[in-house]
Amino acid sequence: MNEHSINTKVASPGIWKKGKGKGRKTTKGRQLRPDALKQLRTLLGDRPRRRDLLIEFLHLIQDEFGHISAAHMRALAEEMNIPQAEVYEVASFYAHFDLVGEGEAPPPPLTVRVCDSLSCELAGAIELKNALEKALPPERIRVVRAPCMGRCDTAPVAELGHRHIDFATAGDIETAAAKGDVHPLIPEYESFSQYREGGGYAELEALRSGLSKTRDEIQREVLDSGLRGMGGAGFPSGRKWTFVRDGKAPRYLAVNGDEGEPGTFKDRYFLEREPHMFLEGMLVAAWAVEAEKCFVYIRDEYPAALEILAREISELEQAGIIAKDGIELRRGAGAYICGEESAMIESIEGKRGLPRHRPPYVAQVGVFNRPTLVHNVETLYWVGRIAREGGDVFGAFGANGRKGMRSYSVSGRVKKPGVVVAPAGLTVRELIDDHCGGMLDGHEFNAYQPGGPSSGLLPAELGDVPLDFDTLQSHGTFIGSAAVVVLSDKDSVRAAALNMLRFFEDESCGQCTPCRVGCEKAVKLMSEDEWNTDLLEDLCQAMADASICGLGQAAPNPIRLAIKHFPHEISKADP
Amino acid sequence: MTDSVTFNLDGRNVEARSGETIWDVAKRSGTLIPHLCHADQSGYRPDGNCRACMVEISGEGTLAASCIRMPTEGMTVSTVSERAAKARKTVIEMLASDQPERAAAHDKSSHFWDMAELAGVDECRFPKLENARIPLLDNSHVAMHVNLDACIHCNLCVRACREVQVNDVIGLAHRGHDAKIVFDLDDPMGESTCVACGECVQACPTGALTPATLGDTKDRGAIDKEVNSVCPYCGVGCQITYKIKNGHIKFVDGRDGPANEQRLCVKGRFGFDYVSHPHRLTKPLIRKEGLKKDLDVDPANPSTHFREATWEEAIRVAATGLDRIKHARGGGAIAGFGSAKCSNEEAYLFQKLIREAFGHNNVDHCTRLCHASSVAALMENVGSGAVTATFNEIRNSDVAILIGCNPAGNHPVAATYFKQFAKRGGKLITMDPRKTGMSGYAWRDLQFKAGSDVALLNAIMHVIIDENLHDKTYIADRTENFDELREHLKTFTPESTEPLTGIDPTAVREVARAFAKAKAAMIFWGMGISQHTHGTDNSRCLISLALMCGQVGRPGTGLHPLRGQNNVQGASDAGLIPMVMPDYEPVGSQRTAEKYRKLWGVELDPKPGLTVVEIIEAVHEGRISGMYIQGENPAMSDPDLKHAREALAKLEHLVVQDLFLTETACYADVILPASAWPEKTGTVTNTNRQVQMGRKALSPPGEAREDWSITVDLAKQLGLDWNYEHPRDVFAEMKLAMGSLDNITWDRLEAENAVTYPSLSPDDPGQPVVFGDGFPRSGGRARFAPAHFIPPAEEPSDDFPLILSTGRVLEHWHTGSMTRRSEVLDAVEPEASASINPLTMAELGIEAGEQIRVSTRRGHIEIMAREDSRVAKGSIYIPFAFVESAVNILTNPELDPFGKIPEFKFCAARIDKTVEAALAN
Repeated sequence: MNEHSINTKVASPGIWKKGKGKGRKTTKGRQLRPDALKQLRTLLGDRPRRRDLLIEFLHLIQDEFGHISAAHMRALAEEMNIPQAEVYEVASFYAHFDLVGEGEAPPPPLTVRVCDSLSCELAGAIELKNALEKALPPERIRVVRAPCMGRCDTAPVAELGHRHIDFATAGDIETAAAKGDVHPLIPEYESFSQYREGGGYAELEALRSGLSKTRDEIQREVLDSGLRGMGGAGFPSGRKWTFVRDGKAPRYLAVNGDEGEPGTFKDRYFLEREPHMFLEGMLVAAWAVEAEKCFVYIRDEYPAALEILAREISELEQAGIIAKDGIELRRGAGAYICGEESAMIESIEGKRGLPRHRPPYVAQVGVFNRPTLVHNVETLYWVGRIAREGGDVFGAFGANGRKGMRSYSVSGRVKKPGVVVAPAGLTVRELIDDHCGGMLDGHEFNAYQPGGPSSGLLPAELGDVPLDFDTLQSHGTFIGSAAVVVLSDKDSVRAAALNMLRFFEDESCGQCTPCRVGCEKAVKLMSEDEWNTDLLEDLCQAMADASICGLGQAAPNPIRLAIKHFPHEISKADP
Repeated sequence: MTDSVTFNLDGRNVEARSGETIWDVAKRSGTLIPHLCHADQSGYRPDGNCRACMVEISGEGTLAASCIRMPTEGMTVSTVSERAAKARKTVIEMLASDQPERAAAHDKSSHFWDMAELAGVDECRFPKLENARIPLLDNSHVAMHVNLDACIHCNLCVRACREVQVNDVIGLAHRGHDAKIVFDLDDPMGESTCVACGECVQACPTGALTPATLGDTKDRGAIDKEVNSVCPYCGVGCQITYKIKNGHIKFVDGRDGPANEQRLCVKGRFGFDYVSHPHRLTKPLIRKEGLKKDLDVDPANPSTHFREATWEEAIRVAATGLDRIKHARGGGAIAGFGSAKCSNEEAYLFQKLIREAFGHNNVDHCTRLCHASSVAALMENVGSGAVTATFNEIRNSDVAILIGCNPAGNHPVAATYFKQFAKRGGKLITMDPRKTGMSGYAWRDLQFKAGSDVALLNAIMHVIIDENLHDKTYIADRTENFDELREHLKTFTPESTEPLTGIDPTAVREVARAFAKAKAAMIFWGMGISQHTHGTDNSRCLISLALMCGQVGRPGTGLHPLRGQNNVQGASDAGLIPMVMPDYEPVGSQRTAEKYRKLWGVELDPKPGLTVVEIIEAVHEGRISGMYIQGENPAMSDPDLKHAREALAKLEHLVVQDLFLTETACYADVILPASAWPEKTGTVTNTNRQVQMGRKALSPPGEAREDWSITVDLAKQLGLDWNYEHPRDVFAEMKLAMGSLDNITWDRLEAENAVTYPSLSPDDPGQPVVFGDGFPRSGGRARFAPAHFIPPAEEPSDDFPLILSTGRVLEHWHTGSMTRRSEVLDAVEPEASASINPLTMAELGIEAGEQIRVSTRRGHIEIMAREDSRVAKGSIYIPFAFVESAVNILTNPELDPFGKIPEFKFCAARIDKTVEAALAN
């Protein structure tokens, strides 16, 4: 007898009794909770429910409640009229959102993030994290590892709430937690009025009113100075302007302030000292390419810079230098990949940071599919300087036959780590000896990362190569963001390379196979006692050849350079 | 689009046509480049994420994904370079490393393994992902299994769900190698908003998503045969492929038909097991003597009321009973209900049988309960009852109105095209008293007060004329009676109609302007328009609206009543209607009489016959006492069921032909076991006017037979000289009667699967848009028919303060006779429910899930209350598929005067929390 035909001798109507009590009491899927919707609406206020603001809204929820509940995600989907899956895939992509499902425990009220990128690891980050896990009450404070926070000169670094603690010890953090020091410290910086007094924005105003150079002339000035993209790609800045100007209006400008390449902290250096030089440079560039609007994307790891920019952009609005909402400040949410310009654009649009395929290039099809000029913070700082002081302020300098200026972020085993603003083309030995006070006592220079983990590690024997665009290609690497980390004879290159690949594994967006699977497999292969160099090379080749973006293409560099220059380290378990 | 370019591919110069990628050109040139995330199927854009299709382009630093890369003039591309081949192989090897072993795969014959072979992957050297990072299997859904250990993150399922079907359930969450396919907020599939269209299952290249019916074989390739056919459910007419194993439909895939382009919905993909349900009738049955006719027969055990008979006896008893009545009281005492679920050939034979054997026109079918009023208005003002454009034409529109229809539930595959239209920026305007699955995609959603359709539409037209936005040239050249309409509309200002409609005048004006200014606009409607006592008026307004803006006859324009049943268009075309013969020729005309005198050798009754509800009434009045009902279930589908069922019980002789002992069959004297759709051959015509070939994939169970052959036997027994050996013989005769089938032959349909009528030549696939050069009315002009606002027949009162509306749910078809016998569909919607707004529930003190009593002046039912904020406050929505809470017990049989369609969409009702409370009331 089949299951449909139970209980046949009942009065009509019909025979379908088995479903009774089994039907859904509501429509399909998770139901909207009116209380959550109400809370959300209060939080969002009268902000327009624009799709590109999704990440900003997620921040509002995370900041208010310390996590993002399923009920709030459901309500947000309703309020923005987007699928729940779209809210979830975006929210779960970014490391700084804590998603909590029904019946799951929310995270403790406070979070300590311990940086475990190379400089901090060299400075004892792992020990710090272990100590914190022992010392802190897990029900009140959770300890999580985190990638580079852009403070490598003060390693090891941790972040309690949004307060960064330099040269951190477990004791410092316990003290800060006890005192409730969880908000960012805003450093002293050049204010709007100070900058104005020094003649700031006069050039911008002159340009705008036709009393100074024409658009072509300022572009020529920038081009002739030799300024290239300081984010790492090194594309001639002036030439980029042409591509954007060739596109149809409306055009946009997007600032890449997602300085996530471990070891790099120069953009933060400028933002926290001279925000207006950067802002004026940005507005000059925007004027030059006739961009309708500027988006400033700053990583969430830089809360002080975000606060400074929020204040100063508002000053600019009040002073009438920009129209209301002429600059939109966007806050990243913990995703290294958003430093890749097209991923950043996706993130500005409120999506996951998945790099786009090229062609088309972002200069043609960028933010909201409009022509977009994307510049790094430092690049725009120099545009500001060049506009105000002339191209020689950049182009008249250079070392070892190179042209231009460079802001090296130096950390690791040197006595005086920090940002070195100096002529381009210095060698690492010059940086160590002439600018950073030499090696730490008891440490002998052994290896260095010339420009972030994407550049891998070079041996001390190559310590006399000028560090600039185009000078490192023949050695299988590049200057990148000039994030120089110095390793000594006390450090393991093998461990450093593994640290780099772990970082890439954590930060791969997951879109393409070679990077998503490749980084994960590389970490496993590199963790083996003896590296299977043939297999690793096959993996590296596929990653370099077939990845969509620079992350996957460059991720093999630490592996390949370690195999090439440090073969003695990779064939034994413990160097 | 650029012109074609020439480039060098593996040493040969090849031409790329506009829009072709390197991958496309390579495939066309005979080189299949491995592909995983690229589906190479209509509707799926390439995404370039898997990197299995890398090629080397001279002068470029890295390799390029051929599936997304457009060749440029003079480019040199190598698919065979060692570097490219190695990258492809390593990429697939990486993926294979994390797959379950092929021997233990969820789908041994998945596309992935074919591609691994093609790329030469013969080993997996990479370490596997840690167990803790592999997502657990998810078997929470009754229809599909989610096996993410086999997921390669190609995101085809995401594109399937979000871009192709636009059901917006699946996402790709997290990142890196922990990226994970999720449903909603990472919910179990079975608890998510998933509507189980199964598109993701069809798209998945690895077996990470499989139909649950795959079971232990774990091999989608392990089937005995494939049969191409058409879906038997709604009027969309999706083409399908049955995958047959051991005489059963193992699973179903969507085919690239003109209406569906491979897409299916939950019914068309997972709703076929009804054909092998144990309730299937396998032998003819004859009612035992002396038993009361009522609903109390168990379909699993008809032997309490019926005895088995041979076909010979059953046909004899069936025919004799009808014959006896005919001889005693005249042929007019017999009526027939044919079926919109049978083939064109079967519909044609059915109406012919009634007309020829009984000499009158008392033959009708469910069109009377769905679009009769739409057809009446279209015939009257446009001169043709069919759609003027296919629903797929929306791809050429910039504005579209959906009114009184819920395609997400009732025409789910058509809905995918509407949602895609909205996603690409088309202005979708939804108008309905109830919010539906489409509302969220709308540019403007007008949730107007039930029954105020005419007022709202007149107000929209008022604005268009008032603001001088109407198309004067079109009106002058192609229409008549505009002046009368203009005069009539003068008083219908948005302000004056607001109290009736509840719609803000600003919104009315915005919608009017958008529609009038559209480059190309379409109007779609459903039962919300037609099932009213003013249903014909509603349709007249829609026709006028389209006409005054010149939105008919061009690509992307048109009037499209979404036809409900798989063959309601075809059955109507075939003359299964009491007033008209095939191709809508009036029964009373001289020409018609002459034509059938020649064709059939029969004298037609010039008097139109009775319609469905009128026939029931005539039974009560004793004018009709015998019926032949083929595949219809009036004991569930008619309004005021108590009354209708009493009529069935009163019949002297009832012959029912069906798959199951339906509620109607409970009242039969003779039951003839018929074939399910996959068990027979025949053509059907969908809502788009596409005539499509249905093919037999299975044999009927036991002694069940194809419907057409049963009708033929019955005709012979009734003394008719019928000699049809095959449906193709019937089709050939239909072509003689129906000009609409010109250029459409059985052989063509066998070869091409679908041809749209009108087809202008033997090669013409058919015209998607008609009436570009005039209308089939006198003078070639369409007509404006002014419509007055008439309130619904039964308005809420103190005793019955709520509005009851009926319809369907996604999972259940019509009266549920098929779908409630499908395991998947029954499991998803096992119980009748009354959807009620939470505010109304709170007012009445009802909790979601509570059993309540719903009453109207005609009766009451007990039913579960479902919380559903889409239903307007003060309204109740109940689907009519559930016999245990048969809502048609409650509905109002009042008819539209032109279409003779009952007002299913509006009657006054009351909710009582309990039976006790009801009694106290």
